[in-house]
Amino acid sequence: MRFPTARLLLALLLPLAASAQTAGELTVYTYPSFASDWGPGPAVKEAFEQQCSCQVNFVVLESSGDILQRLRLEGDSSEADVVLGLDTGTMDTARKTGLLASHQIDTTALELPIAWADDLFVPFDWGYFAFVYDTEKLPNPPASLDGLIAAPDDLKIIIQDPRTSTPGLGLLLWMRHVYGDQAPEKWAQLKGKILTTTKSWSDGYFSLFMNGEAPMILSYSTSPAYHMAIDKTERYQAANFAEGHYLQVEVAALVGSSDQKALGREFLQFMLTDGFQRHIPLKNVMYPAIDLGPELPEVFDRLITPNQTRYFEPAKVADNRRAWLDEWLDAMTR
Amino acid sequence: MLEVRNLTFTYPSNDRTWCFDFQVDRGQCIAIDGPSGSGKSTLLSLLAGFLPPADGTITWLGQTVDQLAPWQRPMTSVFQEHNLFEHLDVQTNIGLGMHPGMKLSHEQNQAIQTGLQRVGLAGYGERMPSALSGGQRQRVALLRALLRNQPVLLLDEPLTGLDEDTRNTLRAMLLEQKSQGITMVLASHDEEDKQVLADSQWSL
Amino acid sequence: MPHLIRAPLSHPGWQRWPGTLLAAAIVLLAVSGAGALFWQAPALEVSELWGSRYLRSVVLFTLWQAFLSVTFSVLLALPIARALDRHRQFVGRALLLRLMELSLVVPTIVAVSGLVSVYGRQGWLTAALQEWLPAMTWNLYGLNGIVLAHVFFNAPLVARILLQALESAPSAQRRIASQLGLGSLWLWRSLEWPSIRPVLPGVVALVFTLCFTSFAIVMTLGGGPATSTIEVAIYQALRFEFDAGRAALLALIQLLICGTLWWLVLRKGLNTALVPDRQLSIGCARPDAGGVRKLLDAGLLAAFVLFLTLPLLAVLIRGLPGLTDALSPSGLATQGLQLLKATALSLGIALPAGAMSVVTSLLILGAKPGSGHKPGTRLLETAGYLPLIIPPLVLATGLFLLLRPGLGVADEGLALVALINAMMALPFVMQLLRGPLRNLDPASIRLADQLGIRGWYRWRWLHWPRLRRPLALSLAYGTGLSLGDFGVIALFGSPSAPTLPVLLYQQLGSYQIDAAAGTGLWLMIVLLALFGLFNLVGRPSTKTQRLKGPKPLQLETSDA
Repeated sequence: MRFPTARLLLALLLPLAASAQTAGELTVYTYPSFASDWGPGPAVKEAFEQQCSCQVNFVVLESSGDILQRLRLEGDSSEADVVLGLDTGTMDTARKTGLLASHQIDTTALELPIAWADDLFVPFDWGYFAFVYDTEKLPNPPASLDGLIAAPDDLKIIIQDPRTSTPGLGLLLWMRHVYGDQAPEKWAQLKGKILTTTKSWSDGYFSLFMNGEAPMILSYSTSPAYHMAIDKTERYQAANFAEGHYLQVEVAALVGSSDQKALGREFLQFMLTDGFQRHIPLKNVMYPAIDLGPELPEVFDRLITPNQTRYFEPAKVADNRRAWLDEWLDAMTR
Repeated sequence: MLEVRNLTFTYPSNDRTWCFDFQVDRGQCIAIDGPSGSGKSTLLSLLAGFLPPADGTITWLGQTVDQLAPWQRPMTSVFQEHNLFEHLDVQTNIGLGMHPGMKLSHEQNQAIQTGLQRVGLAGYGERMPSALSGGQRQRVALLRALLRNQPVLLLDEPLTGLDEDTRNTLRAMLLEQKSQGITMVLASHDEEDKQVLADSQWSL
Repeated sequence: MPHLIRAPLSHPGWQRWPGTLLAAAIVLLAVSGAGALFWQAPALEVSELWGSRYLRSVVLFTLWQAFLSVTFSVLLALPIARALDRHRQFVGRALLLRLMELSLVVPTIVAVSGLVSVYGRQGWLTAALQEWLPAMTWNLYGLNGIVLAHVFFNAPLVARILLQALESAPSAQRRIASQLGLGSLWLWRSLEWPSIRPVLPGVVALVFTLCFTSFAIVMTLGGGPATSTIEVAIYQALRFEFDAGRAALLALIQLLICGTLWWLVLRKGLNTALVPDRQLSIGCARPDAGGVRKLLDAGLLAAFVLFLTLPLLAVLIRGLPGLTDALSPSGLATQGLQLLKATALSLGIALPAGAMSVVTSLLILGAKPGSGHKPGTRLLETAGYLPLIIPPLVLATGLFLLLRPGLGVADEGLALVALINAMMALPFVMQLLRGPLRNLDPASIRLADQLGIRGWYRWRWLHWPRLRRPLALSLAYGTGLSLGDFGVIALFGSPSAPTLPVLLYQQLGSYQIDAAAGTGLWLMIVLLALFGLFNLVGRPSTKTQRLKGPKPLQLETSDA
C-alpha cells in the first residue's frame, strides 16, 4: 500500500521540482539594502544576466543574521544557490552548519587589508567600523579610542547593540582587540557617554544621528563617501582613531544543496570582476574587494586610512562571542 | 384552549418559587393581577419561552408547546416598554414581525401602511422610534403584534402610563382581535382595562 | 402551530463551529509554532536561565516599564475620553479621532524619529524648556523615553476604546442625567464608570502586553542594555546564537507572565451584556459640558492634540522634501513609481489581512459554545490574545519550520505574511468588536427570539446596523497594522518587490535618508487616508438614521 502512494506523490511532485529548477535560474539570498534600487543588486543582476544568459533572483531577508538563520532553518532543502551578505562575524557559524560548498574559484584578484585564504567564503567588499561625527557640532572629535573613553561625559555617542546589530558587534570586538581583558573596565568608563544603544544601525542613524541627537555615531569609515559623493556635503566625517580600526569583510558563498553549482561558481567568479565591483563603492558604500584602479570614486581617496587593521579570526569570534557579550552586559548594567 | 398546568419556576437568585395553573378558552382574555413582584411578568416570560420552567406543562389546542423555542410558539408579546428596536424605523420594526428577514410581499407592505393609518400613524413609517411619543410607540408595538397574526397575545401592562386617548384606541383594537378569536393573557392592575377586556380574572 | 420561517444560518451549529474551529486553528498554529522551536531545541537548561542575574533584572524591568506605561496611558486616556464624550461637536473632532486611531499603527522607526524631534536632546520641547525653565532637566533616554513613547502609542488607543464605551452608555440614563442637571461626579458614578468598567480590564491587559513585548522602542530610547526586555533576549537567542531552546524558554516565560494577566482579566468575565444598550448614542446635551469645565476640557484636549500632533508634524516636516521629490514630475518615473508600486503591494497584503482579522474576530466573538462548556469558552478567549504574547519571531520561526517543505519564495510567502498579520491584528480587532457585539440588551434579544430574527437575519437587522462603525474601525486597524508591519515580511523574505516598510528600510540601508523620511511620511498619509476612508464607509447608517428621524431631541425628552 505504501509504495503506490509514494509513487503517486513523486509523480505529483516531480514536475513541480522540475519547474522550480529551470535551467539558468540563480537564487541569491541577500539583505535589503543590497537588493534595493539604490543598492548594487539591480545593476549587478543586469550585468551578470548579460554574460550568463540566466536569471538572477534575489530573496531579501532582514539582515545578514537572517540569511544565516534562514539557511539553517531550511537545511539542505534550501532554495538558495548563493548566499550573499554574511560577514566575518557570522562566517564561522555558517561554516559549522556544513551547508556550504567550496567555491573553487580563482581569488587572486582580491585586494583586502588582510591575507585571505578560505575555501568556502569569497569576499565581495569590506570596510572599517568607525565613529562618524557631525563636523558642525563637533569640530574636534577624539583622535583615539582612549581619547573617546577619557572624554567628558557631555560628549554623547550613539552605538548599536552587539546582541542585535553587526556594527554593534564590531565595536565589541574592536574594544576587545585593543584592550583585551581590560575591555570591560573601558566599557564601564565609556558608558556615561553613550546616549543610547539602538537595535540596528538604521534606528540610530535615521532616528537619532540625522536628527542631531548626538554628534557621533558608530558606523563605517566609508559612510562619509556617500555623503560627499551623493549628498554633496563634507559635514559628516569619520574620526580616525590612533589604535586602528576593526575590519569587516562581507562575503558570499555557494550553497551545498544547490543544483546550479556551476552557475553559482560563475557568479562568485563574476563577483571579483569590475562588472560587479564597480557598483560597490557608492551603492553599497564599502571598499571594493578588488583593485578598481581609476574606477574607484575620487571621494574614497578622502576617507580615513587607519594606521592599523584590527581583526580577529572568525573562529576566535565564534568561540568567544558569548563570553564577551556577557562581559559587556555585566559592565553596562553594573 | 390554552392550558397551563402546574407550571413551576424558581428564581435562582432568591429561591422564590411560583406555581401557575389556569386555562383560557380560545377568543377569551384572562387578566392576571397582583402587586409588583408577584410574578406577573414571570408568568408571561414562561409562556413566551424566555424562561425555562422547572416543571409543568403548557398546551395550546391540545399540543404541548413548553418545549418549543420562543420563535416556535404561537404567541406574541407586548410589554409595557422596550417593544421596539431603537435602531430600526417604524415600518421595519413592524415588518420584522411578519418576516424575520424583512422579505415582505407587496400585500404585507400594504398591510403595514393600512395598519399605520388605522392607528393614526399614517406617514410615520420611516421615523425612528426615538422620534415617537410613548403612546405612538405602543401603537406601533401593538400593530406589529396584530399583524404577526399569532393566536395568543401575551400582554404585560401594555397600556400602563399612556394617555386616555391612546388607551381607548388600543383597547378598541384589542377588543376587535378578541372578537376574531385571538386568545389573550393580560397582566394589568388597571380596573378599567380588566373590565373592558377580561373575561376572567386571577389574582396572584 | 404557526408557520415557521427558518432564518438562514440559524442552526445552532453555525453559531458554534466556525468560531470554535477558527479559534482552535489559531491556538494550534501559535502553539505548534512555539512548539516547533522546543522540538528543535537539543536540551533545555532551565536552571541556568533561572539563575541568571541578568535575566531576572530583565524580567523585572520589563514588568516595571509595562506597569508604568499602562498606568500613565490609562490616566491620560480617561480624562481625554470623558472630554471627547462631553463635547460631541467641535471643529476637528473627527480628524482628532482619526489621528488617535492612527498612532498605534505608525511604524516604530517613524514615530521614534518624530518623538525625538520633539522631546530629544535637540528637540523643540527640550529647547523650549531650556529657554523658559532652565532649572528643569529633561532627558529622553531611559525609562522616561520608554514610557513617553509607550504613552504616545497606547494612550490614544485606550482613549479611543473608552470613548466608544462611553458613547454606548444607555441614552435613557443620559436623558435622566440631562434632565436632572447632574454634576460630573454623579455622571461618573452612574453613567461613565458602569460603561467603562467592562472594557477596562481588557484594555489594560492589551496595553500591558503591548508594552511588555515592546522591542525597538525600548532599545532606541532606553539608553543601554540595562533597559532590555525579554523580547530582546529572545531576538538575541534566535538571531545570533541560534539557540532555539533558549528562545523557546524565554518565550515561555513571556507567555506565563502575560498569559496569567489575561487569565485573571478574563476570569473576571467580560460579560458586558449587563449594560443595557437600548439605543445608538444620540447626541444628548451633557449637563456638565459648560462653564469652567468647558475651559478645562478645552485646555486638556489642546494639550493632548499637541502631544499627539507635534511628533507627527515633525515627521511631516522631515518627510516633505523627500516626498515632494518622489512625487515631482521628474521623480515620478523612478522614485514615485516605486513608491506607488510598494503601496499597491502593501495594500494587496494589508487589505485581505484586515478583512481576515475582522471576519475571524466576528466568528470567534459570535461563537457560543454550548452552555456550561468551559473549555470551549476558554479556547475562544485564548485565541483573542495568544497572538499578542507569543513573540512574532518565535511564531514565525516555528511556522517556518513547520511549513518549510511547502513554502515557496514568492506568492505563498506573501499569503502567509497576510495570514500572520491578520492573526497579529486579532487581539486589537476583538477588543474593538467585543463590546458592541456582545452588549445587545436583554429586551432586544427577547424580542428577536420571539420574532424569529435569528442566524443571518439577526446579524443583518440587529448587529450590522449597530456594528458598522466599530467594524469599519476594526478593519482600519487590521489593515493599518498589517500595512506598517516590517517584522513578519522581512522574516519570510520578500521577493525583490518591496512593501512600503521594506522600501523604507531599504532606503535607510542605502543612506537615502531624505527618501526614507519621505516614504515614512507617505506611509502615514496612506494610513490616514485608509482610516478616513473606512470611517466614511462606516458612517452612512447614522446619517440615514438622523435623516429619517426628524426632531429626535424634542420628542424624546418630552416623554422621558
